[in-house]
Amino acid sequence: MSAPPPVPPADAPRPSSAPRPGVAPHLRVAMSSKRMTWLAAASLVPALGLGVALYGVPALMVTGASLLCALAAELATTLPWRRFTLADGSAALTGLIIGLVLPAGAPLYVPAAASAFGILVIKQSFGGLGRNWMNPAMGGVVFATLSWPGAASWSIAPLGWPAGAALTPLQALRAALSMPGSHQATPLAVLEKAGYSFSGLDSGVVGWINTHLLSPAGLALRQGTLDVFIGHVPGAIGASAPLLALGAAYLLHRRVIRWQLPVIYLGSFVVLSLVFGGLASGQGWSAGGPGFHLLSGNLVLAAFYAAPDPVTSPLTGTGKWILGVVLGALTFLLRYFGSLGDGAAAAIVLGNCLTPLLDLWTFRRPEAASRGAA
Amino acid sequence: MSTGLLLLSLCPAIAMTDTVIHSLWMSAGVILVSLLSTIARDVLDRSSASTATSPKGAVRLLRALLISSVLTAAFEAGLLAVSPTASASMGIYSPLIAVNVLVIADRQPAARSLARSASGALGRGLAVSASLLVVAIFREALGAGTITLFPAGAFRGTIIVGPLVDQPVRALGLAGGALLCLGYLAGALQAIATRRASAASEGEKPR
Repeated sequence: MSAPPPVPPADAPRPSSAPRPGVAPHLRVAMSSKRMTWLAAASLVPALGLGVALYGVPALMVTGASLLCALAAELATTLPWRRFTLADGSAALTGLIIGLVLPAGAPLYVPAAASAFGILVIKQSFGGLGRNWMNPAMGGVVFATLSWPGAASWSIAPLGWPAGAALTPLQALRAALSMPGSHQATPLAVLEKAGYSFSGLDSGVVGWINTHLLSPAGLALRQGTLDVFIGHVPGAIGASAPLLALGAAYLLHRRVIRWQLPVIYLGSFVVLSLVFGGLASGQGWSAGGPGFHLLSGNLVLAAFYAAPDPVTSPLTGTGKWILGVVLGALTFLLRYFGSLGDGAAAAIVLGNCLTPLLDLWTFRRPEAASRGAA
Repeated sequence: MSTGLLLLSLCPAIAMTDTVIHSLWMSAGVILVSLLSTIARDVLDRSSASTATSPKGAVRLLRALLISSVLTAAFEAGLLAVSPTASASMGIYSPLIAVNVLVIADRQPAARSLARSASGALGRGLAVSASLLVVAIFREALGAGTITLFPAGAFRGTIIVGPLVDQPVRALGLAGGALLCLGYLAGALQAIATRRASAASEGEKPR
């Protein structure tokens, strides 16, 4: 065994070429944060592609505005100090997520302001990447939703939908449930009774499956099942849960993200929706339609791309479990009982506020360090 | 300075900076009560025979609270008589002027004369008012697209801030927006103070 290197005295001046470590504790992983960020951005491309295919130029405009504004805000806060941080991909990922979370009908000042707020206020004001205590993308989206609640939820009909259809299934469900006598067993049944029409593609495919596959067994799929499943509904540009899950699977495979936080988050949301969801609308127990709510809105994107953000999620396994349950509960409460969008972005922002406390409560100091401190 | 007192003094600052006119009424209350309570406390201090008989600690704080509370109540009564609308808009927050005044008084060093005490209190009241006004202008202009002042003649009392009146940044009108503005203002003031301190220490270095 070789001799250990000499330890410099504590008050020795640091050489100017030495790397400057950030605030402890430090994590050592095989992949650089830059590579992780660009991989996360790349995994969102399929969802973006489907969004552009469904909504066309408006989707490109919204995503482009959020992306450009995020990059411009990052440049404006780093170039005066002769730093160039665009290559780390953080600003691009923030802009991309904001663009995917917003609907294609949103006026361009909404994504621009959301990106600018996320980068300038939430990230750069606190010292830049690694020092922000809140997810910049979700913070920017919440800011835009609070500031322009109408404009931030202006949806347009996707390709293949009847012109003028603009209500998202979640908005239509809320409107339908507020009417007397509209209570049905599942959200799709409520929408069907309320006259909410889905695309021709959905009618054709669901009709064929019902006729040829399910009817002999006495089963039937509801109208809208396919549209809701693939995200072919008015709403966010990147609302395609299967494509987002595909991207997330790639990130899990490359170990860019860990499974614990997203799975616990989605799992606790599903359990709460299943048990208590129906009570919110007077439908009774076990009638909350967890599958519909899981696939609607931005829940999947928030669970896989915002919740496990290494900067704003707890460091410890216990902390991740607790935060996952808290996020699931907050999303459930905000979605079923609140009025702030689909609840996912607001839940992430509120959950991020708990992260420092969770780290404090669950982080076990090494015994030697504890003795030294005592 | 107790953190609880500071947090309590934030309540009226957040609530009354939603419009410029509210912040002006709040500023008037803070300046008046701060000035008069400083004079009253200074007179009481000077009337004491020696420093041994002058109150200290909690008793001193209680005395300051009593004086500022009485003066705040007088200000409320006066405001109700002069402008019932303004009194109603200040609502529950006008009694909290007493807390703001306590926070200001806590920072006040002992002065040699009554005039210096009064001018110091006036200066601090004006500084607090300027901060409230800056936050209120920023919040109302962006959060509502207007700047509300006193109506005078043909002027109806409201300035429209361009297209923001149609699509205001409502988040800044909320309590969170107020905390954000106050945080940035405090940060800017701290940065200026730090820069001045470092410039002063640079100047003191022997050459």
